[in-house]
Amino acid sequence: MRVLVVEDERRLATELAAALRDAGYAVDCAEDGERADFLAQTERYDAVVLDLGLPRIDGLTILRRWRDAGLSMPVLVLTARGTWHEKVQGIDGGADDYVAKPFRIEEVLARVRALIRRSSGQASPELRCGEVTLDPRSARVTLAGRPVKLTSHEYRLLSYLMHHRDRVVPRVELSEHIYEHGSDRDSNTLEVFVARLRRKLGNAFIETVRGLGYRIGDRP
Amino acid sequence: MRRALSLRARLLFGALLWTAGLFILTAFLHSHVLSAHPALPRLFNRVFLSHTSLLGVVALVCMAAGLVQVRRGLVSFSDLRARLTAVRDGREPRLDGRYPGEVQPLVDELNALLADRDARVTRALAKAGDLAHGLKTPLAILAQEAERTGGRDGDVADTIGQQVERMRRQIDYHLAHARAAASTTDPAARCHVRVSVDGLVRTLLRLHDSRRLTIDVDVPADHEVRARREDLDEMLGNLLDNACKWAKARVVVASLVDGGGVAITIDDDGPGIEPSMREAVLGRGVRADEAAPGSGLGLAIVRDLAELYGGSVALDRSPAGGARATLRLPKGIVDSR
Repeated sequence: MRVLVVEDERRLATELAAALRDAGYAVDCAEDGERADFLAQTERYDAVVLDLGLPRIDGLTILRRWRDAGLSMPVLVLTARGTWHEKVQGIDGGADDYVAKPFRIEEVLARVRALIRRSSGQASPELRCGEVTLDPRSARVTLAGRPVKLTSHEYRLLSYLMHHRDRVVPRVELSEHIYEHGSDRDSNTLEVFVARLRRKLGNAFIETVRGLGYRIGDRP
Repeated sequence: MRRALSLRARLLFGALLWTAGLFILTAFLHSHVLSAHPALPRLFNRVFLSHTSLLGVVALVCMAAGLVQVRRGLVSFSDLRARLTAVRDGREPRLDGRYPGEVQPLVDELNALLADRDARVTRALAKAGDLAHGLKTPLAILAQEAERTGGRDGDVADTIGQQVERMRRQIDYHLAHARAAASTTDPAARCHVRVSVDGLVRTLLRLHDSRRLTIDVDVPADHEVRARREDLDEMLGNLLDNACKWAKARVVVASLVDGGGVAITIDDDGPGIEPSMREAVLGRGVRADEAAPGSGLGLAIVRDLAELYGGSVALDRSPAGGARATLRLPKGIVDSR
């Protein structure tokens, strides 16, 4: 799962990014509207945390631009102006949720989690697939009740596959959602992660659909 | 300071002096003409004495017309006064109408003054907003830092967290107040209740997405209140959000016109509010239930905003079983221009 944080206050952006990374997300940051617009239009995100008061282009304008361009990723709006009028404008502009500053990091994390869960059509906060359980709240994975230790890349990959378990996920899509911007993406390492996950969770758990991509197997 | 002489008295006194001068001049010319043409008096007498009544009428009509003229000239002042009162009460944005040449420059100056005042208020309000919002991000960082160090010193972190929350509420409260105080005198402030409610319902359904709430809206499209959209959104948003937080499944918004105002009711099917708690809930910063999500300032802001607009907010029992909030606001003034 990959999240874009758009916040001009560097310190707050750093804190948010750190907390999101701790929670198992790949995180990119943008400090102004132009950069945010560029990243969102060129990369694939599972959620965006967007501050409305941005230099150059304000958040609401960018949000409308994204929605006009057909980008449908869930957007959590952060704003200092917490009036209801602005909330209505934000939601009408295409925001999915709203947090007023100053906020607690946990609140932002909980909302990002809920947005991603909803947009991928999952009903319960815990993702379960056979004997494997993934809890986005604690970023923990268990196999038959026993905790499984995963690296951050393994966790992101597994989380993405489990959020989209009813379909085959192409390799390109997978790599788009687990690597941060500018990090080295090699499809071989993707295969390495899958192999490691299979070793930890059972060979049949991740199925390779030849020529298409990966799918979570119903039975590990 | 000595009170200035009434304008009307001055004008009439001026007319009197003018008449006296004219009279003297006429008498002077009269005597000159008489000495030059001794035959004239007989002609004058014939004309004047044979039409005494007619001349009397003409004289009276002239005097009356003079008074009317003075009066008409002065009416523009009472008119101006009425219009100024309308501006002060917020019924009109500026002084309209055509005035005599001597008064029009005064009216123009007054309008310029009003425009300047509005611009100053707008600027001051923007500054207040900038200040408030400028504080929010540092507060957010402060709260984050406190949270991060929470593991090492829980007490300090809690204190900082609580104080940051208090500051946030203070900022929101006073900003809403400043905004409302500036806008209650704005005569252009009119808002369709339906427009505001529809936007809020869309927003609340999205924000309370997981709750599967139903919000029924029974607000006729032509109901208008005298309030700025931002303020009506703030009042209704807080009331509706509160209803959504407590409702089990259903919230109903309805409005009806009574007398000079519009009454908007918001019903929920939640647990309702104890009668003894109702007044307290509308007080400053009092929370009906510490466990309830959100800040306790919401309803206090609603009450203050409503009162600034000459309206009110009341809590009651809903026929649906839960709480009913009734927001009363003056009707929007129909633009006569």
